[in-house]
Amino acid sequence: MNTVIEVRDLTRRFGDFVAVDRVSFHVEKGEIFGYLGANGAGKSTTIRMLCGLLAPTEGVAMVAGHDIRDDARKVRAAIGYMSQKFSLYLDLPVRANLEFYAGAYEIESPRKRVQEILELLDLEVHRDQITGALPGGTRQRLGLGCALLHRPEIVFLDEPTAGVDPASRRDFWRLIRSLSREGTTVFVTTHYMDEAEYCQRIGLMVDGRLAALDTPRALKRDLVPGRMFRVSNVDERASRAVLSGMSGVVDVQPFGTRLHVRVRPGGPEAPDLGKQLSQAGLSGAEIEEIEPTLEDVFLAVVDPTKGSAAA
Amino acid sequence: MKIWGRIYALAFKEVLQIRRDPRTLVLALVMPVLLLLLFGYGVSFDIDAIPMSVVDQDRTSSSRRLLRRFFASGELRPSGTLSDPDEAYARFRTGQDLGAVVIPAGFQARLRERRPAPIQILVDAADGVTAEQTLGKAESSLKAGAVVRRSRPPVEVRTYTMFNPELRSALFLVPGLAAYVVALVSVLLTALTVAREWELGSMQQLFATPIRRGEIVIGKLLPYLALGLVAVALVIGSGALFFGVPMRGAPGILMLNSFLFVLGMLGQGLLISVLTKNQMVATQAAAMTSLLPSLLLSGFMFPIENMPKILQMITVIIPARYFIDTLRAVLLRGTPASHLWGDTVALAAFALAMIVLSTARFQRRIA
Repeated sequence: MNTVIEVRDLTRRFGDFVAVDRVSFHVEKGEIFGYLGANGAGKSTTIRMLCGLLAPTEGVAMVAGHDIRDDARKVRAAIGYMSQKFSLYLDLPVRANLEFYAGAYEIESPRKRVQEILELLDLEVHRDQITGALPGGTRQRLGLGCALLHRPEIVFLDEPTAGVDPASRRDFWRLIRSLSREGTTVFVTTHYMDEAEYCQRIGLMVDGRLAALDTPRALKRDLVPGRMFRVSNVDERASRAVLSGMSGVVDVQPFGTRLHVRVRPGGPEAPDLGKQLSQAGLSGAEIEEIEPTLEDVFLAVVDPTKGSAAA
Repeated sequence: MKIWGRIYALAFKEVLQIRRDPRTLVLALVMPVLLLLLFGYGVSFDIDAIPMSVVDQDRTSSSRRLLRRFFASGELRPSGTLSDPDEAYARFRTGQDLGAVVIPAGFQARLRERRPAPIQILVDAADGVTAEQTLGKAESSLKAGAVVRRSRPPVEVRTYTMFNPELRSALFLVPGLAAYVVALVSVLLTALTVAREWELGSMQQLFATPIRRGEIVIGKLLPYLALGLVAVALVIGSGALFFGVPMRGAPGILMLNSFLFVLGMLGQGLLISVLTKNQMVATQAAAMTSLLPSLLLSGFMFPIENMPKILQMITVIIPARYFIDTLRAVLLRGTPASHLWGDTVALAAFALAMIVLSTARFQRRIA
């Protein structure tokens, strides 16, 4: 495998505030690299540095073989960037936006490429529509189209599916996976944990630091050890209080009206939890063992004491 | 070649956006002509039949002859005969008169003894422009009257007003207005278009492409430069059509200096929007920094020679000053191009400074 993004001790400060704090990682060619974290954790700041939009305070980053500090223009020619905020020209038709970026990236035979992109992203029917009139999902596809026009080695997608309906999100991720199969590296931030499952590796940002980095499976195994039970059909507040106090229980987190209960390896089994609840007068609980989700991983990382993170 | 490809892409996109937004075209092309007509017809410094009261305490043939001469042109109108100068004050206060002419007793006697024979002109200077005109007109009619009487053989004073013989304010105003209107519109146009890209976030998207800052600046300026030049031509054309403003000098230097002036104004708009990044603030800053100086400090309304030293020094950096100078010289005076290079150099320096400054500020905003 060859490394297309190499980041060492990348730091960005805004005055006293450290937005990105000595972050190091590398991304391989064709990988879907997910960058997760709460708002303000430093995701967008990292992406903007890697795209040459923001100078790092300290540290080194090589993107597509070019130093982002010395060769920002070469970096920009090799990458596609789709910002968090939709930033194409709303007053122009779809095709005019694509043609403009084709010119900006100095693409050979731009007409042909624009046509290819229109077909690839299923935008053919919208080509003459004014961009501002498009629904959210279609706009995002157009944004991706503009970022892909010049066949970049790497695309940086900053929350590409924010505010997009679930069906469009699924279509969007299908595109991302096909890009990756064809060898394009995808660096994507999201705060939808279900989307993060599609990523081959995930970096978790907490307060500017890279708190964890691995495949989704390894993250779950390492950061959420033991077993996980889902408790439903009982009063969530009361049962939470009961189960938190139980020996062998590491953590109880509410997920909607349900609870995710993490137990230590060798700790209580599902019937033990049910018994504890009925003794407290909470009967009828449905308990089943589940795989931990990335959300569990996220919560475990955000609060390493694994206690009352959401108290 | 590649550079031009990117600049062309930017400029072409800008043209598409202008075409889709009729407001830009209205602002650039209709507004200047409308403003010109409004100002040209509405603002006139010409005053006719200024009411003046007469206090003739001499009551001789000489004083009566003087008064006849005084009111002969019709620009001054005798509004009443008073016996006491104090009554004139009362009439000033009620706004009946704008001036008074007082001929003291002994006027004829002094003239016969060939001694200076003073008379008094009172002017209401609450309105400065009117007062100045009243005084000017009174003085010129008096000179004619008095000199003729004193000298033998009679000497006639003839005033010949060059370039604008009827002293029509339209001729004088149109060049100033052209500069004012073009300044306002040009600064506003670029200030808005660049600030809009910041607000939309598309500026950030542009920065993620291999396009250079300087290319963005040029690509943005080119279409608006064309628009601004069309606006200049429209204003000068309407000046000729509606107000009979001539074109006595070389059009070449006028075109060159118009180009540099519009470029400088566009550059100023660009600098504003690079600094403010916000359409609301940019609009206000653009209006303030283009409208006021080109109205007040350019020599349009108030002659620069009459300003206090400090203000005179400030006008040195107001580009409208040089453009108005060129416009008046070429349109009215027919000054040869070789005398207008000073304006060209000043305008070029301003345009260059604005574009260099905004490009530099552009870069610093990113890091």
